[in-house]
Amino acid sequence: MSDFVTLENLTLAYGRTIAVADLNLSIAKGELIALLGPSGCGKTTTMRAIAGLLTPRSGTITIDGRDVTRAAPARREVGLVFQSYALFPHLSVYDNVAFGLRLKRAPDLDATVRAGLKTVGLTDFPNRKPSDLSGGQQQRVALARSLVMQPKVLLLDEPLSNLDARLRLEMRMELQRVQKETGITMVFVTHDQSEAMALADRIVLMRNGAIEQIGTPEQIYTAPHTGFAADFVGFETILPDGKGGGLAWRPSAVTLGAGPHTGTIRGASFAGERREYVLDTALGTVKADTPATEPRRALGDTVQFDLPPDRAVHLAQVD
Amino acid sequence: MNRLAVWSILGLTLTFLIGPFVIIVAAALSAGDSLAFPPQGLSLKWFIRVFEVDSFRASFGVSMFLAVFGTLTALLLGIPASYGMARYQVPGAEAILLIVSSPIIVPGIIVGLALLRYLVIPTGVGIGLALFLAHTALVLPYAVRVVSASMENLRVDMEEAALLLGCTRMGAFVRIVLPNIRGGVLAAFILGFVTSFNQVPVSLFLSGPGLRTLPIDMIAYMEINYDPSVAALSALLAALSIAIIFAAEKFLGFSRYV
Repeated sequence: MSDFVTLENLTLAYGRTIAVADLNLSIAKGELIALLGPSGCGKTTTMRAIAGLLTPRSGTITIDGRDVTRAAPARREVGLVFQSYALFPHLSVYDNVAFGLRLKRAPDLDATVRAGLKTVGLTDFPNRKPSDLSGGQQQRVALARSLVMQPKVLLLDEPLSNLDARLRLEMRMELQRVQKETGITMVFVTHDQSEAMALADRIVLMRNGAIEQIGTPEQIYTAPHTGFAADFVGFETILPDGKGGGLAWRPSAVTLGAGPHTGTIRGASFAGERREYVLDTALGTVKADTPATEPRRALGDTVQFDLPPDRAVHLAQVD
Repeated sequence: MNRLAVWSILGLTLTFLIGPFVIIVAAALSAGDSLAFPPQGLSLKWFIRVFEVDSFRASFGVSMFLAVFGTLTALLLGIPASYGMARYQVPGAEAILLIVSSPIIVPGIIVGLALLRYLVIPTGVGIGLALFLAHTALVLPYAVRVVSASMENLRVDMEEAALLLGCTRMGAFVRIVLPNIRGGVLAAFILGFVTSFNQVPVSLFLSGPGLRTLPIDMIAYMEINYDPSVAALSALLAALSIAIIFAAEKFLGFSRYV
């Protein structure tokens, strides 16, 4: 069951530029996977390859036991909710949702469309055009349009990044609810680690066209393997050990005011509950924070600090 | 600038633009036998006369045929060309656009002469076919440019969404692209139609006995008969053009595309 979707030795390229090199990934049925990474890491490219919008240079993609590496997008039973939503502007909400069902001459079209609109909470205006809807509503239409096709895998490209903060929380809960109700396998792409943490069963952290680390949000958050992964989840002070590995601390793990090391405060900012400091030290840049209730330290101040070993994570690779 | 000057310039400009049309309509309503302004008396007889001249009927048919089918052919070539240039990184797309536009840049006299001298005479191609090719080529720039403009804000991910929902590439083009560029295509058709219908210099070289476009036929007619029927015909054609543009504006918002 853990290989409902598999990517084997997948290499993807745009012309001569290799975007993803030799990637391997297995996704279980019903899993919610986040492809996480900065722009240019290959996450969107990987998603497009699963959808069939990009033919791999080499490697294999299977979905539910079937090799779909060269299959046309329409023959993969994959849905994709685009970042721009990509609704058809000349069709009503209803006709957008019915579009794919009509093509495959689905029985019970009307009931299916209405059920789809109900799933995403959009039953009020089936006859409106997409341009008359808010961004959040447009996204729901796009979601319904994909869901009614009962795809084996639903792909979502940056599903939350175009929404304002309030809608983002709402949509996040919506996606979790839809996933729970339908049990559909979901893969979503994001550059926002907090989004990935909040939504995903497993996070695939990507960098430069390769997988940096795979794990549950807890695993990635508490035990990043590399300097890149550590930095991505907030271990902002990283000390290489000179043998390729290293140690990393979160700002809250650094003790300020006492300890064997000395540093100069180069940056200080107030972040509500905490005060954040950047220190120039003999070890390199150290980032620390303290509860806002502690007295404020000024720029240029010299402070003692400690990097307690018991609060560090061990990194296998730092570069 | 004072108000008087503004109104004078405005008045002169409008007179200059609309004046000829007013004079032609007035001359066409004349009861006299020669083309003159002001008209001698009032009558509709020259409007009736227009429909009695055989050559007008024949050349009107030729012009309609060229305008309709030349423009349709240009669209048949121009829509895929616009689509290709919008969707794919075509090497030298700028140059292609320039070449496609050359019929509106190169003077019609030269195009007509060149077609006669280097197409019709050496190859013996029929004048009808040459006329058809020439009109298609003349309309192509409008087809490509107007359709390209309406394709610009059509995002590619809409087509990709259609592919994922079960369309073939061709199906996505027909179901998603075409409906969304419909206005541009109709605008291109109207522009092309009017351009072709009013074309003189190129047609001049490619008309011969038995095959003339309406404008060329009108010139030929005037050389022999200097009567108001040409004015009546012009007035009718102008009215037709105005009706088409009004209808297009009303139903399509034509001015968005031109």
